[in-house]
Amino acid sequence: MRDKFSRHDGAGRGDVILWIFGLALLYLLWNSGFFTAAAWQDFNRRFYQNFVKDKRYMMLVDGLKSTIFMTSGATLIGVAVGLILSVIRVAYKGGVPIPLLNKFAEFYITVLRGTPAMVQLLIWNFTIFASARDLNTQYIAILAFGLNSGAYVAEIFRGGIESIDPGQMEAARSLGLSYGQSMRYVILPQALRNVVPMLFNEFIALLKETSIAGYIGIDDLTRAGQNIQALTLEHSQPLVMVAIIYLVIVLFLTRLVRKLEEWLSRGRR
Amino acid sequence: MKKFLACLLLLSLFASCAFADEPAKLKSIDQLKTERLAAQRGTVGQFLAEDLLGDNKARLLTTYEKYVDAIASLRQGKIRAVVMDEMPAKRFVSEVEGLAIMDEALSEENYAIGFRKGNTELVEAVNKALAEMKADGTLDKIFDKYLTGDYTEIDPATIDFNKGAKGGKLFVGTEAGFAPYELKVGTSYIGIDVEMCAAIAKKLDRELVIENMNFDALPMAVSTNKVDMICAGITVTDERKENMDFSDNYVVGAKQVAVVRADDYER
Repeated sequence: MRDKFSRHDGAGRGDVILWIFGLALLYLLWNSGFFTAAAWQDFNRRFYQNFVKDKRYMMLVDGLKSTIFMTSGATLIGVAVGLILSVIRVAYKGGVPIPLLNKFAEFYITVLRGTPAMVQLLIWNFTIFASARDLNTQYIAILAFGLNSGAYVAEIFRGGIESIDPGQMEAARSLGLSYGQSMRYVILPQALRNVVPMLFNEFIALLKETSIAGYIGIDDLTRAGQNIQALTLEHSQPLVMVAIIYLVIVLFLTRLVRKLEEWLSRGRR
Repeated sequence: MKKFLACLLLLSLFASCAFADEPAKLKSIDQLKTERLAAQRGTVGQFLAEDLLGDNKARLLTTYEKYVDAIASLRQGKIRAVVMDEMPAKRFVSEVEGLAIMDEALSEENYAIGFRKGNTELVEAVNKALAEMKADGTLDKIFDKYLTGDYTEIDPATIDFNKGAKGGKLFVGTEAGFAPYELKVGTSYIGIDVEMCAAIAKKLDRELVIENMNFDALPMAVSTNKVDMICAGITVTDERKENMDFSDNYVVGAKQVAVVRADDYER
């Protein structure tokens, strides 16, 4: 797959496909009258209505704030829960006698990974926190997304811990460290370094997942776009704008992850 | 794989240009019985469309969360008509090019505020407030304000939510995509329902808190006590009466209409 798209072997088949796609898109745009002055004016007028008039862009800004707030909160909970769960599971495997805790962790991960986040969010809001009305709904969303994310993060951490050579643990134990100490001072620091990029990816996934929060009445970025739609009755522009904002943030974060990966691997040499 | 994708793309391009047949234009509601219809999920529009389509509803009816989505698929030709309330329909027709409302209405409905089953105390208090507002003309004034002139220019800051009222908060669930009844502007809300609820809250000495949800989540929200009442141009139906209590009607004879493409409609 990758070599066909690479630049080194000239115009490969991949380039031809891209050209076809590009020309098809141009043709479609041309056909729909996109390149006429009237269409451009119309585009500008609608852009003004959707985003500039009455400071409507502030609705997107507020939505973005809410999205980032929820994502950050959920990530913190997710990492904390995931770390605890993964340590329980690894420790049980490593001989620490905590069968009940281990069963709970397994149950938790199975249930929260086995049901859609959307359904969990609805259950949290309308069943578990049904009577908590003065509580800001955003906190319920943070809890729902965080606990959901925790199940995934637990598996990421477990993978990270298990990727550390078992000899490390044996060496630490033979030096007289207890199981907990070897975990804390020897295994986890190395494991963390392995999983940081994956945690960032989880953060990125969460950012996109919070777009369902509108269902329980939170005006996140997606919902802000829908609110503008309802205000101006315009369908495409608000949605495309929301998509662009998400994409820009995700691209920025992806870049950050790549930098982080480079930095982490440099420290290892 | 890529060859296949490219072929598919080209084929779909040709197909979109080549096969565009012209069906007979719409004249009456009866013709809709065998056409693709859309409605907002959980609304009376959906129930009416289901009745109209009968056994074909699974195949021909699409439900959307938001009216904007339904209207977009109408304009793209994916469906032939959207069944919805007359007032928002009128707004779409005046703001969006190429739409028309069919003359014949599907039905006439009454709007009321919904409550959790058995919440008689609040129902009575709200009914009393509604009766007072009807008697002294407050309600008429609110309707006039929104039915004449451009209500999108109304500043939400002018609506008094009775902040810090002694009687506690009055949580009202709504779906703010149903102008002129409710609409989100900036960080707050405007609309007939919103102003009416604000006036009711004032009479009950409570602070109005609006919870903006999807329409089909509203019955769930009120039955689980997440909100005290739901006010979103909700039509009173016998089926709904089984699951929630209603206040007295505040809108009588709101029409349900079919919105179609203007070039697809022959008066």
